[in-house]
Amino acid sequence: MEVMAKIAFGVYTLVILSGSILAVTSSSLVRALVGLITTLVGVAGMYLLLATPFMAFMQLLIYIGAVSVLIFFAVMLTRAEKGGDEGGKAPMKTYVYGLAATMAPAALLGWLIMTKPVDSVAVPVEVTIKQLGDGLLGSYFLPFELISVILMVAMAGAVLLTWEKRGK
Amino acid sequence: MNAFLQHLIPLLIAAVASMVWLGLNALVWVYCERKFAGHIQRRPGPFEVGPHGVLQPLIDGLKLMSKQLLTPDNADAPLYWLAPILSMVPVLLLYLPIPYGPVLTGMNINLGLLLILAFSSFNGLAVILAGWASNNKWGVLGAARAVSQTVAYEIPLLLTVLAISFMTGTLNLVDITTMQGGHIGNWFIWKQPLAFLIFLVAMFGETNRAPFDLAEAESELTAGFHTEYSSMGFGLFFLAEYGYMVVMCSVCSVLFLGGFNGPIPGIEGWWWMLLKTYALLSFMVWVRWTFPRVRFDQLLNINWKWLLPLATFNLLATALIIKL
Repeated sequence: MEVMAKIAFGVYTLVILSGSILAVTSSSLVRALVGLITTLVGVAGMYLLLATPFMAFMQLLIYIGAVSVLIFFAVMLTRAEKGGDEGGKAPMKTYVYGLAATMAPAALLGWLIMTKPVDSVAVPVEVTIKQLGDGLLGSYFLPFELISVILMVAMAGAVLLTWEKRGK
Repeated sequence: MNAFLQHLIPLLIAAVASMVWLGLNALVWVYCERKFAGHIQRRPGPFEVGPHGVLQPLIDGLKLMSKQLLTPDNADAPLYWLAPILSMVPVLLLYLPIPYGPVLTGMNINLGLLLILAFSSFNGLAVILAGWASNNKWGVLGAARAVSQTVAYEIPLLLTVLAISFMTGTLNLVDITTMQGGHIGNWFIWKQPLAFLIFLVAMFGETNRAPFDLAEAESELTAGFHTEYSSMGFGLFFLAEYGYMVVMCSVCSVLFLGGFNGPIPGIEGWWWMLLKTYALLSFMVWVRWTFPRVRFDQLLNINWKWLLPLATFNLLATALIIKL
């Protein structure tokens, strides 16, 4: 079982990495979006591996079913062409900075995991939906409500912005 | 390793079985739909190939497969061919958690309903990719139309499904079915009649069936997102649509009509599940050839002004009754 988990971890890592490389290297915005979606699928797989299928399916439902379609509409509305300014070669400096920006959190997290390993190295146990709901409406009630307030504010702001535009 | 194989082998069998099941259903329902259409609209329907035209779908399949695969000029070829595959592959997964019987379930997991909803949301992505990658203005317009429809109709569908899972306290399709065991009075259609009606209407919107088939009206609206697809490119979209129809009808019969439970105690079995699913499928076909197509603004108005408030009301009422 453990070997299979390691193989699955490798496969999902590969999916995430290849998706992210596709996302940053392709000159077409839509292809970059496909890369992003591939990465999201890989992350959903990681959730499955951590025995949280609820999170995995929510990731698929929300990010792939809704958010990526939304981004797609945004990309289509901007009419981004292949030969845009960003499509050209970037100077070497950008690559160096980009590499540093990627390596820094990876190094930090890696160092943390290596020096201070987490207690749970055993096979994770699936959290039932009942437990999840109890947690959200019990011990984690305040963060849950705060997030919904933030989302409400964002929605109200979006409505307000479009309202002004229509009046002109 | 052994425990893993014990899990993997039934899952593989289930996956292959659902592929075969999907193919068979598509073949049979293409034929049935044309025959039903013929009878409803008083025209013969297929009659040439084989007795009563039963070989027609096979010949259609052969025709589709033997045609040339064309990629339009300046189309984004990898994405263009990714789209039909992306619309087809998730459908195969959707069959896994559907309970055809107490034992005859591909994958008995706690989140079966959520799995179906999650993977059916891939369809919108496939549609918009197909429309965009075709390098065709009609394709893009059709895709925008189709996606706004799919996204809109997913919301009342989710809300009605949520009302059922409020009542049962689970997302496991097998558990939901067993809770409706016994006699016909235990079926959730009697406890959730409004949810059943909303689900039925939203089902037509989700699967792009007439009277809500503006996403893919063949000739009247230049077909939409799959205009450019030839041969099996179109064939895969077509198969996926039939696959979704069967899945949606199965889910509907599991949620509201008791799944594999018979109307009187003691005669449970997969035949009830098939009977209910096929009755719903025939209903879908009947509606398609009876009602005229609605206009696009009407379609969205029905959803946002009627289905969504009704579904929200239904959900709140369910929560209130459970709390009391």
